[in-house]
Amino acid sequence: MVSNAEIVIIGGGISGCAIAYNLAKKGMKNIVLLEKDYIASGATGRCGAGIRQQWAAEMNCQVAKLSREFFETAEETLGYDHDIEFKQKGYLILAATEEEDKQSKENVALQNSLGIDSRYISLEEAKKIVPILNTTDFISATYCKDDGHLNPWHTTLAFAKAAERLGVKIYTHTEVTGIDHQNEKIIGVQSNKGYIQTDKVVNAAGGHAQVIGEMAGIELPVYSERRQILVTEPVAPILDPMVISFSKDIYCQQVPHGAFIMGRGGENEPRDLKHSTSWDFLEKMTETALSILPDLKNTRVLRQWSGMYNFSPDKQPIYGDVPELKGLYLAIGFSGHGFMFGPATGLLMAEFILGEKTTIPIDKLHISRFEKGELIEEASVV
Amino acid sequence: MNQRINKHPIIDIPLRQKIKFFYNGKEFFGFEGETIASALHAAGITKLSESIKHHRPRGFYCAIGNCSSCFMRVDGKPNVKTCVEPLRENMVVENQEGRGSII
Repeated sequence: MVSNAEIVIIGGGISGCAIAYNLAKKGMKNIVLLEKDYIASGATGRCGAGIRQQWAAEMNCQVAKLSREFFETAEETLGYDHDIEFKQKGYLILAATEEEDKQSKENVALQNSLGIDSRYISLEEAKKIVPILNTTDFISATYCKDDGHLNPWHTTLAFAKAAERLGVKIYTHTEVTGIDHQNEKIIGVQSNKGYIQTDKVVNAAGGHAQVIGEMAGIELPVYSERRQILVTEPVAPILDPMVISFSKDIYCQQVPHGAFIMGRGGENEPRDLKHSTSWDFLEKMTETALSILPDLKNTRVLRQWSGMYNFSPDKQPIYGDVPELKGLYLAIGFSGHGFMFGPATGLLMAEFILGEKTTIPIDKLHISRFEKGELIEEASVV
Repeated sequence: MNQRINKHPIIDIPLRQKIKFFYNGKEFFGFEGETIASALHAAGITKLSESIKHHRPRGFYCAIGNCSSCFMRVDGKPNVKTCVEPLRENMVVENQEGRGSII
């Protein structure tokens, strides 16, 4: 392992890999990425990998839009030799309550003002988009045809391989055990495979972001909560868009391979960073899915697993540096949306670290917003 | 090609009720208490499904409902694990193309 680096990126999920790729593309040398397991082994590889621009908070909309634009040509841009399975068949968001219906209208107005092609639609139209939909419990829907979902492993590997071709050194199965700092400046990173001298560290540790923060002596305003997900056996294609409902607490998609992948939040999910699963999830998940998409009763669940949502107080990511510790950069607190924001995270963080003007302003996502108390909480999260 | 074992030096094979069923529109016979795949195999039908991408023949493989090699459409229902599903009178068994459709 190398003994010094221009920058050490912690975390081999989509955020870390995309930041490494963008920094290398912009000409930075001697970039090191450390991953305690393998590429996409954490939240990235465990997520539903949906990408939507239909958000309630402006910054989330903008970051999502920037990412969506990247995903559309990602295979060519990254020179990846495999399909990243981008199924761009939209997101259908169902409103079950008056409150949600009102929020939907507000969301669409905001999204449209930002150039996002979402629409507020009737249940009849929703039924045309998803003929197997049971609309009984709903009032209205919103739909954006440019949303979709991808294969998170291939997408992340595409970034990782492109980064490596540009000279980034990726060390997997290498766990960071300490962040060395002196006089409020980063001076190095200790890992189980050796020590690396560096004055820049990016915390892109996903579910373990706060653990890395502790190592640096910084209390980060994020915590991780378990989220579960399941996959069914593959069947012939019958569902185009990702279907979600916030109040029913469900997202459900059919991947190109034919399997349905669905997840939900649930109450009292543990915050112990363990990838455990529960019977309760299986029951509630299947019950909810069948109430919305009854034909799914004819398919079997293959398995369930879990990952971490790294929540920030306003459910928007934290981008930028840390005033108390020079050289520490944050790409954390994605609140369940780190995968879909990945390409933007990579670009914006690379620009920020290199002192360039960012493609979209990210000052509103700086950690200092929590002290100032200027919070606009994202309302539309599963 | 009848692969059925009727006589065995150690195990007694009792006479069982003959059952009629349909395979791809043709009448077949099996015995009560056996699985769909057993009945087909005994009748010489060894290709139960096809691989999804290359359409290679797939037959009896794990025989315990794990491997997906025996998925067939039974009474209109796709992806039935015929290696563990008991044969019943007048069952309509068909080869399915690709991933079964659940609607």
